[in-house]
Amino acid sequence: MKRRGVYPFTAIVGQEDMKLSLILNVINPALGGVLIKGEKGTAKSTAVRALAELLPAMEAVKGCRFHCDPAQESFLCDDCTDKFRKGELQDTETLKMRVVELPVSATEDRVVGTLDVEYAIKNGEKKFEPGLLALANRNILYVDEINLLDDHVVDVLLDAAAMGVNTVEREGVSYSHPARFVLVGTMNPEEGDIRPQLLDRFALSVTVTGEHDRENRKEVIKRRLAYEADPEGFIDSYGKEQEELAGKIVAAGKLLPEVTVADSMLDKVADLAIDLGVDGHRSDITLIKTAMTMAAFRGSSTVETEDLKIAARLALPHRMRRRPFEDGTLDMDKVLSVLEG
Amino acid sequence: MSGYFNSYPFAAVVGQEQAKRAILVALVNPKAGGLLISGVTGTAKSVLVRGAATLSGNRKLLNLPLNVTEDMLFGSIDLEYAVSKGERRFEPGLLGRADGNIIYIDEVNLLRPELLTAVLDISMAGENRVERDGISFTHKAEYAVIGTMDPHEGVLPGHLLDRFGMFVETENLKEKEQRKEIMQRLLDYAKDPAAFRIKYEEETEQLMAQVARARELLSHVEISEAMMELAVQYCTQAFCAGHRADLYLLETARAIAALAERNYILPKDMEEAALYVLPHRMRKPPEPQQEEEQPPAEPEEQEENDPPEDDNNNEVDENQDDLIPPPPQPETNDGENEPEENRDEEEDNKPSEQDPHHNAPREDKVDGIDMHFPMPKMVLDMGRDQVNRKGSGKRSLTKTDLKQGRYVRAELPKNKVDDLAFDATIRAAAPYQRHRPKNACAINIQQSDLRQRVREKRIGTTFLFVVDASGSMGAQERMRAVKGAIFAMLQEAYQKRDKVGMIAFRRKVAEELLPITRSVDLAQKRLAELPTGGKTPLAEGLAQAFITLDMLKRKEPDAEPVLVLVTDGRANSVVQEGEDPVESAIKLAKQIRKAKITSVVIDTETDFIKLGVARQVAAEMGANYYKLKQLSQGDILHIVRNIGV
Repeated sequence: MKRRGVYPFTAIVGQEDMKLSLILNVINPALGGVLIKGEKGTAKSTAVRALAELLPAMEAVKGCRFHCDPAQESFLCDDCTDKFRKGELQDTETLKMRVVELPVSATEDRVVGTLDVEYAIKNGEKKFEPGLLALANRNILYVDEINLLDDHVVDVLLDAAAMGVNTVEREGVSYSHPARFVLVGTMNPEEGDIRPQLLDRFALSVTVTGEHDRENRKEVIKRRLAYEADPEGFIDSYGKEQEELAGKIVAAGKLLPEVTVADSMLDKVADLAIDLGVDGHRSDITLIKTAMTMAAFRGSSTVETEDLKIAARLALPHRMRRRPFEDGTLDMDKVLSVLEG
Repeated sequence: MSGYFNSYPFAAVVGQEQAKRAILVALVNPKAGGLLISGVTGTAKSVLVRGAATLSGNRKLLNLPLNVTEDMLFGSIDLEYAVSKGERRFEPGLLGRADGNIIYIDEVNLLRPELLTAVLDISMAGENRVERDGISFTHKAEYAVIGTMDPHEGVLPGHLLDRFGMFVETENLKEKEQRKEIMQRLLDYAKDPAAFRIKYEEETEQLMAQVARARELLSHVEISEAMMELAVQYCTQAFCAGHRADLYLLETARAIAALAERNYILPKDMEEAALYVLPHRMRKPPEPQQEEEQPPAEPEEQEENDPPEDDNNNEVDENQDDLIPPPPQPETNDGENEPEENRDEEEDNKPSEQDPHHNAPREDKVDGIDMHFPMPKMVLDMGRDQVNRKGSGKRSLTKTDLKQGRYVRAELPKNKVDDLAFDATIRAAAPYQRHRPKNACAINIQQSDLRQRVREKRIGTTFLFVVDASGSMGAQERMRAVKGAIFAMLQEAYQKRDKVGMIAFRRKVAEELLPITRSVDLAQKRLAELPTGGKTPLAEGLAQAFITLDMLKRKEPDAEPVLVLVTDGRANSVVQEGEDPVESAIKLAKQIRKAKITSVVIDTETDFIKLGVARQVAAEMGANYYKLKQLSQGDILHIVRNIGV
C-alpha cells in the first residue's frame, strides 16, 4: 500500500508564529523546542507532522542505535565512544531527521527503554532495549496533548531533556545514552494545565487560534478539499514551495555558526530580563539563541533588533508567570520600548 | 556515556558563590551530610553539579535517575551468573556502586519519597542490607548525596530535608553585567565547547588540586573543644532538633578549613558552615504563651514538617527571622550573597494585586485574591501505612489499576498474572535453569517463576472547597483573605497533583462552581470571579458537598477526598421554612462524619461577639478546625483522616 503523503507544510494557511517557531527549531535543534497551545482543529498536529517533509538530512554513525553524530565526540554513545577511541568512526550513513511521536498512553519503560526480554530468555543475558528517547536522539520528539501525559513520564522526560542524556536504571538494566531531542508539544489549555517546570523546558511557545478572517477561512476549506480530492496532485502543486523552504532551512543551518551578536544586543536582552523580572537565566539565553536563528533564517549573519522582537514574542510569554496558575501576560509594549530604547 | 566529561565548566559559572562553596565541601567531606541545592529553574543548579563531576577526582558522581526501579537501586540477583552456574549471587545496584562515591539526584523532590528516604538512610548507616529475590546480602555503602530541586514543584518534607547536611539556594542574578556575562559565556560555550573548556582549564585544574589536597588534609584537621562549644551554641540558637546539626556543622567547617589548607578550624569556618548547615533546620522557638484558643483537633508535633524557605511562604520566613537571631554572617568580601537581599528581591517580584472590583454594587461584590497570603503548610495524614523501604509493607497508595502508573517492584502473584514483571520473572527462573530442560531458549520459565508487577500511581487527594459566599463574608475585605487562603491551597494542591472541586453557598442555594477536576487553573479562575452577597445557607452547602463526594466515591472508590469548609458560621438561611439553620447544618455535619469524610473547617469569624457555630460544626463533623488568622500566621494545616464514629 502506498502511504498517503502528508499535507504540505507550506499549504497551511496563516498560523505564521507556529510555522516560524517550528522552522527555527529545525534550523537550530539546540534551541529547545516549542509548545503549541490552541483549541482543537487549529492545524497543530498537521503542522508538526508536515514538518517531517522539511527536515534536513544528517550524518550519523552507521548502525548506531542512537544515530550518533560523528562530528560531536562529546555526545557519542558508549559504543561510538569506543569506536572513536580506536579511530573507527569513519563509517557513516546519511539519515533524514525525523519526527518521533510519543503517545500520551506511553508507559515509562517504552519511553526510557528497558530489558530486552526476548534476548534475556533466549540467551540468559541482559541487554538494553532502547525506548522512544533513543529514537528521539537528534530528532524531533513530538508529544500531542502533552498536558495529559502521566506525571511520571513527564518526570523522566524532564530528566532527559535537562541532561541530554537518558539514564536508565530499571528492570535489570543499567544504561545511559545520549538523548538530545527537539521537544515539540501540543496542548489544548481547556483540558488541563501543564506543569511550570515542563513549560520552562520549552524554548518557545505559541498560541494558535482559528482563523477569523473570512477569506482565510475559505482558503483553509478550499485547500483541504483539494487535498482530499487528490492528495498526490495537491502535494505536487506545492512541490516548489516545499523545496524552497527546505533549501532555506538548510542554508540557514549552515549560516547559523557564523551569526554574531553585538554587545549592544546583549545589553537589550539583559535590560529586558531585569525589567520583566523573569525567573532564572534560561530566558535570556533562549532569547538570544532564537534571535540568532532568526537572523540566520533571514540570511543575515548579524542579529538585529527586529530579530530580538520576534524572539521575545516567541520565547517570553510562557515565562511570565511567577507562580503556577497566575495568568502571566507579556507586556509587548514594554518589550518593544526596552528593545528600541 | 560514562560521565560528564563534556559538561560546562564549574569555574565558568557566574555568581552562585555559596552553592559553589557548598559543593566543594560536599566533594571533600562526605561526612558533611550531602547537599541539597534549591533554586528556581534556570539558576545553574544542575550545571554546577555536573560541572563538579570533573573536580571530584577518584570519587565518581553517579546519577540516580527518577526512573530507577528498586532492584537496580538496592541490588539484586546476578541473572547471568544464576543462569550459567545455577547459583544465586548478589549483583550490586546503584547503591553498591555508590560506595565511596557521590550520588547525584536531579529534581530530588520528584523522586518517590520512600526511595529517597532509603537512599538517605543508607547513606547515614553506611551500609546497605538487601533481602530480595532470595538473596540476603549486606555491603558497605558510604556515599554523600547531592540533590537539586525547584521549590515550585513542591518542597521536601522536613524529615527528609533534615537528612541533608547542607542546604543552599541558587539565586537569580539581578545585575545587568552579570546577566550579560552569563549569556556571553553560554554563547561561547555553545559555539565551541572544547575551546571553551580549554579556556577554563587552568581554573578547573586548580580547583581539582584544591579538592584533592583538602581530602588528604581532612583527617588531620583537628576539632578543638572551643569549636565544639561554638557548634552547640549555633545549634541551640537556631533551635535545631537533635544532634545531627552539630556534627554536620563541625564536619562542614572541617572541610572548609581543609580547603583553606589549614589543619585547624577557625571561628570564621564555623560561620561559613552555619550558612550551609543551619538554614533548613532553624525552628521557631517554643512560644511562651498561646494567645489563641486551642483548636479541638490538636495538631501533633510539627517541627518535623517545616518545608524549606521558598518564595511562597515569605511572610512565614520573615516571622521566623524576627524570632531567631540569624547566624552571624561571615565577613566575606562578596556582599552579593546576603540572603536578606534575596528576600527583598523576591518580595519585589510578588505581584501587587489591585482589587479591580472595589466599586461593585453593595449586594454582590467580587473581592480580589490576596496574593500575599502565605502558602499554608499542609500536612495530610490519611493514616496510610508508611512504606518501609525494603519490607513488603502494605501500600494503599498502590493502585492495582491495570498497567497504569510507575512500575515499582514485583511480587508473587496473588491471582492470575495480568501484568507480568518480565525482569523479576526471569530473575526468579534463573537459578533453576541448569536443571530444567532447554527448548532453544536459555531460560525455561515455569508457572512458579511468574511475578506480577506492582505499579504505583501518585493518587493525589481530592480537595472539595465549600465556600461561604454570603454577605457577611464580604465584610471588611474578609473574602480577599479567604480567597488568598484558598488560592494558596490550590497551589499546594497543584504541586501534589491533587484534584479540586468547589462549591459556593449564598442566598438560598449552594452552587457547584467547579466539578471535581484536575485543572487547578480553572479553579483559580472561578475563585477570582466568585461574588459575595446574601444570606448564609450553610446546611445547603454541606448537603451539596455531601452529594458531590458521594458521587465521587462511587466513581472512584480509591479516592480520599478532603472537604474544606470555609465559613464564618453565621448560618441564617434554609431551603425549607421552619427549620433552624444552625440545627440543620449540624445534622449534616454528623452525616458527614458518619460517612468518614475527612474534613477541615476554616473559621473566618472575626466579629466581636463570637457565635462559634463553625467550631461546633467542625466538632460534629470530626473536622480539623482552624481559624483563618492561624493560617495567615503560617500555622500548619494539619489534616488528619476522619475515622468516623
